[in-house]
Amino acid sequence: MISTLASLTFRALLNRRRTLLLGLLGGVIVVVAVVYRLSASADAEALDFTGRLLANFGVAVLLPLVAVIVGTAALGSELDDGTIVYLLAKPIPRSVIVFVKLAVAWLVTALLVTLPILLAGVIGSGGDPGLGIGYGLAALLGALEYTAVFLALSLVTSRALVIGLAYVVVWEGVVAGLFAGTRIVSIRQHVLAVADALTGDGGVASELDLRTGLLVGGIVTIAAIVLAVQRLSTVELRGETG
Amino acid sequence: MSTLSLTGVSRWYGNVVAVNDVTFKVGPGITGLLGPNGAGKTTLLHMMAGFLAPSAGEVRLDATHTWRHPEVYRQIGFVPEREAVYSFLTGRQFVLASARLSGVPDAEAAAGRAIDMVELRDAADRAIGGYSKGMRQRAKVAAALVHDPPTLILDEPFNGMDPRQRLSMMGLLRAMAADGRTILFSSHILEEVERLSDRVLVVVAGRLAASGDFRRIRRLMTDRPHRFTLRSSDDRRLARELLAAPEVEAIELRDGMLSVRTGDYGALTRSVAPAAQRAGVSLLELRPADESLESVFSYLVRR
Repeated sequence: MISTLASLTFRALLNRRRTLLLGLLGGVIVVVAVVYRLSASADAEALDFTGRLLANFGVAVLLPLVAVIVGTAALGSELDDGTIVYLLAKPIPRSVIVFVKLAVAWLVTALLVTLPILLAGVIGSGGDPGLGIGYGLAALLGALEYTAVFLALSLVTSRALVIGLAYVVVWEGVVAGLFAGTRIVSIRQHVLAVADALTGDGGVASELDLRTGLLVGGIVTIAAIVLAVQRLSTVELRGETG
Repeated sequence: MSTLSLTGVSRWYGNVVAVNDVTFKVGPGITGLLGPNGAGKTTLLHMMAGFLAPSAGEVRLDATHTWRHPEVYRQIGFVPEREAVYSFLTGRQFVLASARLSGVPDAEAAAGRAIDMVELRDAADRAIGGYSKGMRQRAKVAAALVHDPPTLILDEPFNGMDPRQRLSMMGLLRAMAADGRTILFSSHILEEVERLSDRVLVVVAGRLAASGDFRRIRRLMTDRPHRFTLRSSDDRRLARELLAAPEVEAIELRDGMLSVRTGDYGALTRSVAPAAQRAGVSLLELRPADESLESVFSYLVRR
């Protein structure tokens, strides 16, 4: 039952042209690292540049963009087109549907984000795997938090993609930059806190310490999962003709 | 054997009442849910299938509430009206996935049987995205009955099917009903319901307008006065001739047309041409004025 649900979700996600385009976006960070490496001078500069590349592009752009598209589509696309009825008409606990959908969305996001970050980190720093692994692991955790939030959002509103993008651009990009107090509820800062701790402040420093980042990130993830299960248990299908 | 029961069920969306205080039971056999588009059929079916919470009243399958009890889907097969399916799957994969998600022990064999039942074997290994509307409909039905549920709920199941497929699907539903299953299907086409089910529920504007034996309801429908409009080369002469016919209750001449009211639909259609011949006028047009389903339903509501 679980493998069928996972394979349906996986195929539905990979069948979308949008998801495949995101693979290309992951390629961009690797290409930038390669180009930089070919023209780089000193190793210290290379580490600094690679750190900034992974933080400013990998964590700030690639991760949330992939997560918002994959996370909102994992259940949201079935809600939009009505195929969710084929899952809801089955004797499967709603919590299982949410967990499986989240696991697949996390896996797809991780594949599309963590691998390019890891590769770009290793290439950009001239073979040193430290930065790539640190940012890759942080992105792996961040992918779970982001996809959980965006999956829950797709069960709350039919405009989850727009609202998710607005959150990433406006809240994480602008508001969290202007007002330090809001950074505690910025997923990007949670990811950077983990990356900081793992790489020793390579790249862009986070405003949060590791403990706060993990604690708030964990609470947000659990709250999003609970909300998603609760929403899916009470989701109503109205049909087209009344 | 299972029974779906609705007790005092209403459903509203904001200020709009979609279903208004409906009570009925559906037992084994085929029951048709009949009503014009927008009457509340889909809302009722979705409440019965546990996809919508009733705003008031309760919906049960035997002793279990259908809302928020996923376990009830071991007993229910549901065919939605919406055409959307997983278009990237083949028909066989779709039915097989449905069997596995329903926890059927030998899913492959069950999927094969369901595909054969709806006569989809030849197309089963093609992607559903390339199916015709009728083929999709059959794939949906196969997916709904793959776990052999005692209750089958179908929302407009004959949409998009050609006459041969319709007959075959009707045969399938009859066979399933003969096995003691409870089958409820909705339709806005009177003839479909008439051919398939003895018992009907007629819904108009969210209310249950009539329920029970179809022949009795049909009689109510045929007892009502019918109205025809007529055009001929000399309407006055034709009107004089028609007034002598016992089945004609009233004739009006308005807007250059004759409007004829009768209590006997069949007798009037048979007597118009001879009357025109006797009057020596050419009949240009004869048309029933109020034969839409809506007018039939609103007549039932008034009674």
